[in-house]
This record gives sequence, structure tokens and C-alpha cells, in this order.
Amino acid sequence: MNSQLQAQKIQHIWQRGIARRQFLKWGLGSVAAVTAVAAGGFALLRRSPRDEMTPPDWVSHLSATEYHLFDRAREVLLPVAGTPMIDSANVPVVQNVQQTLGFLDPVTRKELGAGLSLFDNVVVFSHGCRFVDLDDAQAKALFDRWGEGSVLQRTLATVIKQLVYSSYWREPVTWPPAEFDGPVSEKWGLAYLGNAPMPQESSLDVQQEQA
Amino acid sequence: MAFVRVARDGVPVTQAKDVALDPSLGKRFTLKTDVVVVGSGAAGAVVAYEMAKAGRDVLVLESGRYYPSSEFTEHLGDTMTKIYQDQVGQVNTTADIIFVQGACVGGSTVIGACVMEEPGDKVLDGWAEKYGLDALSAEKFRPYLDKIADELQIHTNEAHEINACAHKVIQGCEKMKYSWKPAQRNVKQCALTGHCLAGCPSDRKMSSLVTHLPWAAAHGARIFSDTEVVKVKTRDGRARGVEARVVDPDSGVHVADMQVDADMVVLAAGAIHTPLILQRSQVPDRSGQLGKNLAIQPFTQVLGKFKEPLYGFRGALVGVQVDEFTQTDGYTIFSGLAEPESLLAQGDMKAGEAHIQFMKDYKYYAGVNAFSQDLGNGYVQWDGDAYNGDKTIHYNPSREEFENMKASATLAARIFFSGGAEKVYLPTFQSLEANSVFELDEKMDKVDYGIKGMYTFRSNSFSPHGTCRMGADPYQSVVSPSGELHDTPGLFVADSSLIPESMSAPIQWTVHALAKYVSDQINDNASNYFIG
Repeated sequence: MNSQLQAQKIQHIWQRGIARRQFLKWGLGSVAAVTAVAAGGFALLRRSPRDEMTPPDWVSHLSATEYHLFDRAREVLLPVAGTPMIDSANVPVVQNVQQTLGFLDPVTRKELGAGLSLFDNVVVFSHGCRFVDLDDAQAKALFDRWGEGSVLQRTLATVIKQLVYSSYWREPVTWPPAEFDGPVSEKWGLAYLGNAPMPQESSLDVQQEQA
Repeated sequence: MAFVRVARDGVPVTQAKDVALDPSLGKRFTLKTDVVVVGSGAAGAVVAYEMAKAGRDVLVLESGRYYPSSEFTEHLGDTMTKIYQDQVGQVNTTADIIFVQGACVGGSTVIGACVMEEPGDKVLDGWAEKYGLDALSAEKFRPYLDKIADELQIHTNEAHEINACAHKVIQGCEKMKYSWKPAQRNVKQCALTGHCLAGCPSDRKMSSLVTHLPWAAAHGARIFSDTEVVKVKTRDGRARGVEARVVDPDSGVHVADMQVDADMVVLAAGAIHTPLILQRSQVPDRSGQLGKNLAIQPFTQVLGKFKEPLYGFRGALVGVQVDEFTQTDGYTIFSGLAEPESLLAQGDMKAGEAHIQFMKDYKYYAGVNAFSQDLGNGYVQWDGDAYNGDKTIHYNPSREEFENMKASATLAARIFFSGGAEKVYLPTFQSLEANSVFELDEKMDKVDYGIKGMYTFRSNSFSPHGTCRMGADPYQSVVSPSGELHDTPGLFVADSSLIPESMSAPIQWTVHALAKYVSDQINDNASNYFIG
């Protein structure tokens, strides 16, 4: 799915799922809570080995933590091992996510950034690490749990899933394993019929121009 | 004897880039014409052709881009970005219903699924009686429908146009003893690509892009794309032209302001944008009905998974329709399966293996679009000033309409189970699927009306209508039986806005025929409108 179109969809999902004030209240409350405990063990627990990994050069509109979050979400949401599907590591999923987010208006983008941070950090207390360091089963369970949770949780989980899935399936290379044919007219050599002949009128001699 | 030459392909269109490069036009320019037609879709193209054929100087203004069939890629995502209204982001105020509309030269006829259906004699006679529209009675309106059928090569699907997805619908209907019939479509020599929604690159779809627009151009009509009409100009209470702005569709750069001086203005921008133009123009409206009575024919997509691979995305996109309930309950179900990208928007959104499995099973799916008739209680509104304001589409289902949507989707699910489906994915915002017909009702019961029916069913609308209701009574309708506004001479409406009340049949055929009828009204009374 095209990035611009996808951005529109994400924006709508976001806006309908998050009453802006409610989210800000939520987000700010979370940030305050994070700040309050940051001096203690929380900061230690939320450290991830991934933080030491420098994102690729093409990353410009994602923060390093957002890059790692989407890259981990890609691994968790698209487990193709044992299937004919294309390994998501060979599809520019996170690049496409970045492109899509680039189309969001600044306000939505900022709110979404806060939401992504919340999603990444929400399991620190319960699991002692961030989302990016959960194992596959735990990470999937988080998506499932939030997919059935509150409006805020459902929206965040849906936005991440929609971004990752669309960024994967928009690439034609992913279609053959699903046996979707993609464009066929050229492949089939279909004859081009051109404009339809104008209806014959009694007062006019209508000619169809020949090729 | 006159000779009229129709180009073999394409339409001569003046685009924003042409305006930008033409120093003679500058940043502000004025064009003069007999008739300015706003919109180039099902209605505007017909009016342009009929007016130009009658010898009038015709100028067509289209807000969307010119996207010739030579550029169609059969890649739905790309197409949506370029020629769908608001990149498919045209939604109601609660953002849970998408209003799918073409935004290009040819309008929605370019991206439609080719489904054509007459409104039905009972409906037409009802309009004639209830709204004083004698000329739209079944007997009198029939010639217009027939003429359109000839021009657009409308035919009933033949056997080869019924794909595997449609056959599952047929099997289900046969077991349920529900009436079904092959759909009618405006396509010639269909190549069965299944890519209708991305435009037809070999020009088999009889869209306005290959029919009335090139024919109008052959008779001398001029067509501008990228040109959004802001308001209708009036003088002494009479329409005298329009104000428009030309915007580059790629860069968003405002290229020029256009003034059009015309003897007549015909609005054909569709049921959402035509009333918005009229609201921006602040035309008088005694009825108070301008922008109201919005009917949307909501539909949802129900997916059935079958034991055997169907490849339901191959072949003609729409094969058959279930018409058992069309007249009695207003439910109509059409076969059709979306391609993977739109399946994602409408389909299951589980995480991990469940999602992979869902997409892996793509070839086992059949899909239907389950339509229901609504009550026509929505409205469109322009908020803010004419140049910088914004549109809002107000529609949320009433409890009755919600129950209709649920009933239509449930019928579709039953048909799939009767046709042998192992599982049916329900078109709800919450992820719901039924593994047998015996748990269908229980699953459907989980869909609660809630607050204004919001975020219950994933609904779309392809057929908004009714926002400039036609009728004889100026206190009940916006437009007179001739198509002219009751209170503004020289200003006509020719599109789906005219449809006086909610109807259940797909509207395209009706809209083409209404536009032809309005054109006849103008031509038959030309001496009242034109000098010479």
C-alpha cells in the first residue's frame, strides 16, 4: 500500500482511537511516572543491547528507539519460517514505515512517537525489559493482549500492525507466495481497445480515427 | 455534412502544468463559454457530450488530475494515491466510514467495478408520484436508460465472467433458495484481469474516460483538469459562471485563479461536492434541504474461506448479485474479492502466525460486498470560508440502519456457509470470525450498536446520493424537475445529488440517465438560456 495512503489511514486510526486530550493526559501521565522512577532501577531495566546498535544510514525520520521497535515488530509480526512467504528481512519494511510516517502531520507524528515510546516501555515493570527485548512469544502475547485491551491499547497495537503489514505487503515481491498475480495486462499481452466509437448520429457522419 | 473525428485514445485535457507554462494565461485569467460543466464523471461527461453535440461551446472543469489509461499500473495502492478522492481518506466525521470516490478526469467511472443496475420501475414511479417528477416515471424515463445502455455497452455477465468467487455465492444461494442473477456491467470484451478498481489499462471498461469525454471533445468541448471550482458566480440572481483555482496535483502549488463567464452552469461534482459548491456560493435555498438527505448505500466486505483454492481475485471482479432481498429489505449482495492490499484494510488484523496464515490462505477466500439501504439522513456541510474551509460528511447509522447492515452481512455469511465455507470473517472492527453457521448468530450478537453505531462494522460507501433533492415543490426540494435550481436561474445540477430519496440499486446507470435527461431539458428550452 502506498505510503501516503497508508499515512492517511494511520492518521484516521490514530485520531479515532485516541481522543487527543485523553491521550495527552495518558501520555503525559506516563512520562511523569517514567521520570519519577528514572533515577532508580527503571532506567537500568529499560536499557537494551539494541541501544548499542547504530541504525542504518537511511534512518532519518525515525528515532533510534523507533527504528529498533519497528524492526523488532517486523520480526514478531511476520514470522515466515516454514512458509513460502518472503523473509521480511529481505523486504524494506522499516524503510516503508519511515516513509509512511513522513507523511503524517507534525502533531499526529509527535503523539504517535509518544505512543510508540509507551508501547516500548510498558512491560519494563512486568518483564524487566523493553518490548524490543521480549522473546517472540512474549512480544506476540503483548500484541494479542493489547489487541483486546482498552481503546488506547487497541489503537496502538493496530497502528503498529497496520504499519508493518502494509509496509510488507505493498512490495510486489511478497505477492507470488500468496499466489496473487499482480498486474497482468502487459504480461498477457492484452490488446488495447482505445476510445469507444461515438454513437452514430443521423445528422453527423462520425468517423473513428484509425491508429 | 459534418465530420467529427474521435481520437483513438486519450482525451485532450489542459492540465495545471499546461496552464503554468502558458504565459498568455498568467496567474489570473478568464474564459468565456456557453456552458461550464463542473465535474467530468458519470454526469458531467454526459452533459458535456450532449451540450457540445447540440452546438454549444462547452468547458468542463475537473478538480482531479488527468490520468490516462496508458499510465494505469494495476497496482491499487498507487492508483488510490493518485486518483481516489483524498487518497481514500474521505471519511465521515467519526472516521469509521470511507466514501470511495474517483478524483480524476472521468471521476468514479474510472475506478468503479462496472456494476450497472436500473433503479426499477417501482422506484421511478414512486419518485414521479411523491416528488412531482412526472418525467421520471418508469415509462418516460425508460428511453434515457436504454440510450445509456447502448452507449456504455451494458450487458449481463456471460458465463466466462462469473469467477470462482461468484460461483460460491451461486452455490450458497441455490441451497438457500435465494434469488441471484449475473450482474450487469459496462465493459466490452472484458479481459478478466480483476483489476477494475485500479482502472482498466486496455480500455475495456466503458468509463467516461473512453466514452462521453472523448466524444464531447470531438464536438469541441474543452476540458481542464486540476481545476477546483470554489463558487458559482451570480448576477441579478442568475448564475453567470464560476470562480476556480488551478492547483498542481503533484506539488500542491496554486498555479492560477480562473474566472469563467458562462450563460449556464451545470454542477456534476457528485453528491458530496456539488452541495458543498452551492453552500460556498451561498445560493438561496427555500427548502433548507441543500446538503441534506444524504443516502450512502453502506456496504461491508464479508470473506468466506473454502476448502479448495478458488483464486477468487482472478476473473471479472463482480460476477453475480443476490437480489432476493433487494426489493423487500433493501439488501443486495455482490460477489467480489479485493486484492491483498485492500484485504489488509478490510480483513483480519491478528498478530504473527495468525496473520501469516490468514494471508497464506488468500487463494481459498471468496468475498462479497453486502449492501444495505439506508434512510438518507446524513448531510454534508462546508465549514469556514469558501477558500480555506473544509468539508464534513455527517453520517452515522441509526439503530435501524445498523440492524440492516448486520442483517445484510449475516445473510452474506449464511450464503457462504451454505456454499461450503469452513469459516467466515465478519466485517467488524473487532476481530470476529465464525467457524460454522451455528455460531454465526452468537458472534454477530457481539456487535453492539453502542454509541451511534460507531466502530461496529467496517463500512464503505461508493454511491452517495440525494443531497440536492429534485422535486416540484420548492419548499421540499433544492432542484426543480428540469434540473435547474428552484431559486437560481441558469444553475443546473445533473448528478447523483438529484436522486430524491434513498435507493437500493447501484446508482451509476441512473446518474448517467439523469444527466442525459437534464441535458435534454436544457436543449429543449435552449432559447430561454442562450442567445443565438
